[in-house]
Amino acid sequence: MDFSLTEPQELLLRTARDLFQQHCPTTLVQELALSDRGFADDLWRRIAELGWAGLMISETFGGSDGSLLDIVLLMEQMGYACFPSPYLQSAMVCTSILLSAGSTAQQQRLLPPMARGERICTLAILEESASFAPEAIALAGDLGSRLNGAKLFVKDAHIADDLLIVARSGHGFNLLLLESATPGVSLQPVEVISDEKLFEVAFNDVPVSEAMLIGPAGGGWGPLATALQIGALARCAEIVGGAQRILDICSDYAKIREQSGRPIGAFQAIQHHCADLLRRVEASRGLLYNAAWRSQEGLCDSAAAIATAKAYAHDAGLWVARKGHQIMGAIGYCEEHPLHLFHKRIQAASLDFGDAAMHFESVAQSIGLVAME
Amino acid sequence: MEFGFSPEEDAFRQKVRQFLRDHPPENYPEDGMDADYGSGAHSHAFMEAMGERGFLSMTWPKAFGGQERPFMFKLILLEELASAGAPFGPLGGCDQTAAAIIQYGSLRLQQELLPLIARGKATFWQGFSEPNAGTDLLSLQTAAVRDGDDYVINGHKIWSSHAGISKYGLVIARTNPHVPRHKGLSMLVVASDTPGLDIRPIRSLTGGIYHYEVFMENVHVPKDYLLGTEDEGFIQLLGGLDTDRFWGRFYKAPYLRRLLEQLVDYANTTKRNGRLLAHDPIIRQKLAGFATEIEALRMMFYRNGWLIKEGLPTPYESALNKLYADETGQHLTAFGIELLGMYGPVKAGSRWAKLHGAMSHAYQTSLGHTIAGGTSEVLRTTVATRGLGLPREQRS
Repeated sequence: MDFSLTEPQELLLRTARDLFQQHCPTTLVQELALSDRGFADDLWRRIAELGWAGLMISETFGGSDGSLLDIVLLMEQMGYACFPSPYLQSAMVCTSILLSAGSTAQQQRLLPPMARGERICTLAILEESASFAPEAIALAGDLGSRLNGAKLFVKDAHIADDLLIVARSGHGFNLLLLESATPGVSLQPVEVISDEKLFEVAFNDVPVSEAMLIGPAGGGWGPLATALQIGALARCAEIVGGAQRILDICSDYAKIREQSGRPIGAFQAIQHHCADLLRRVEASRGLLYNAAWRSQEGLCDSAAAIATAKAYAHDAGLWVARKGHQIMGAIGYCEEHPLHLFHKRIQAASLDFGDAAMHFESVAQSIGLVAME
Repeated sequence: MEFGFSPEEDAFRQKVRQFLRDHPPENYPEDGMDADYGSGAHSHAFMEAMGERGFLSMTWPKAFGGQERPFMFKLILLEELASAGAPFGPLGGCDQTAAAIIQYGSLRLQQELLPLIARGKATFWQGFSEPNAGTDLLSLQTAAVRDGDDYVINGHKIWSSHAGISKYGLVIARTNPHVPRHKGLSMLVVASDTPGLDIRPIRSLTGGIYHYEVFMENVHVPKDYLLGTEDEGFIQLLGGLDTDRFWGRFYKAPYLRRLLEQLVDYANTTKRNGRLLAHDPIIRQKLAGFATEIEALRMMFYRNGWLIKEGLPTPYESALNKLYADETGQHLTAFGIELLGMYGPVKAGSRWAKLHGAMSHAYQTSLGHTIAGGTSEVLRTTVATRGLGLPREQRS
């Protein structure tokens, strides 16, 4: 057992904190949230220059060869800043699929520009059923056929160069990489309360060619399942970072906001709320790091550890957010105040890549509860 | 970061498991009640068996008869003992006292007590609280006055766990009434058979006896049994209370995990209204929820332990983890009773008891956990002020 960070990890953390503190103030997050595009091109270029877009990618493909723990630490800082970006979908989830299932030619073509941040890819999996379970996926995508239908809640589809589409093929699934500018692909925004940009992506007679296929025909679920776990882990890190930020906002405020002649943080009612926030943040973080380490080491219990971490962070993060509003009082109800941005991001992250119900069910099975019929 | 165990640590874990197979906990008579903190009942014979195996002096310096085994071994030992439901109740008190004697004790205390502790032949009660000094411990009245080669103690202590079956007590008393109240306190080791001690049991709401009150009238203690420096007992006590909270709760996560596993087995094998309890989605989600809480707790305690091992400050961690452990325990046992339904409150020993009556017992004892060793309210304030730097509330 060792809870210390390596020197490179300390450096990564410091760099990320400084960068976001300087260049990603909450005023920018708010501004981007209210804009249609919601994307800071210059900041994205900057993190790519630091090698972060290619953190999962090996040096041979132009990446910086980081560990999963490195990426989780970085993602936590992105959550702390509420940094709006396609990082999670492109640099983690889609990268994971290309790394595990892509052919060498596909990797050579796609990974270097993705590592440089010049090419952005996003995952198109959910449909109207809004479930990450295999049986919920209906869009047919057999080789030689045409895509007709839609994917829903596709994050950052408007800035993505490529869509990684999960489609049904016989009894299995095809993972299809499609340039988003392909004729027959159309986007409709799905407006949500968070700062995130989600889309309905419709396909009208888009031919499915063998060149689009990532991995074996019909054999897409294996690599996808791993990528979904990485997505859950990343969203979990985002929640932990966001919850830590809310805790910091609240405890800083409780020290200076005076009512009845003293700082509100001197009242036990506020002190005890803050202590409970800290407890949930630390508990979530412990589970997150444990899950990341187990996953990085390829241990057989890593899927259960990720489910445990994500299920816990879902409840804990939202609890922290709501209690944070109670501590902040009326000012936290204003759009101008950043609290709601973190709250809504935590909410988005909680639901994405498996909500609490889905992950609790995985935990239920891992502790030996007999499976439902 | 690394959350695995080294091959040496894994090998040690196997040795502890072998010890537990050789010494099945159920074979040991219960001398004192299990208060469900995770350390099981108070069994003198089991303590002696652990002493024989060297487990009680494992991490002490060799100069004091110890083996200087790594800190992590102790965490592994506690985790394994708690997972097996072993009756090692007095261990925490022994460890704490031995550490204090090694650090502050006179040569006489070291020579007389450490070998007894190492062999499992001396266990300890704590004489801290008094009828009018609970959360406000500093208002304690018990006095110790120097008289030749002795201290003479007069006072009244309460909530002393297992005082009636332990050989020694650790008593904090006022040695100087003329200084501010946080100064002038001293810690003394008191043999339980000293004349003038009257140790009376307090029956708790479980019907069992765990706590005692201790009346002290002209109790003579040799001056060498002063633990540390005269008048500086409170500083020592503060340090001790913080690590107490860690060591007294580290085993709670594996203990709760054990309870959870019993509930999972029960849900897997019990039908209500024609359906397995395990197939009720609400029950599934509740049990899974507790599994995540217990795992979070385990990680927080390991981090806490790692900080202590590295000599890093733990200004609030032990307080936070203690209150989290105890509240989780209350929630789990309350749910456990609910899951067992009408069988929940059935006492151990009844032919209708489920899970050997463990849940009805644990439910009751859990009520005391959030009070003993620092109430959850005091601990939340500690976390807020020492962990988050919130201003202290003005005190009268």
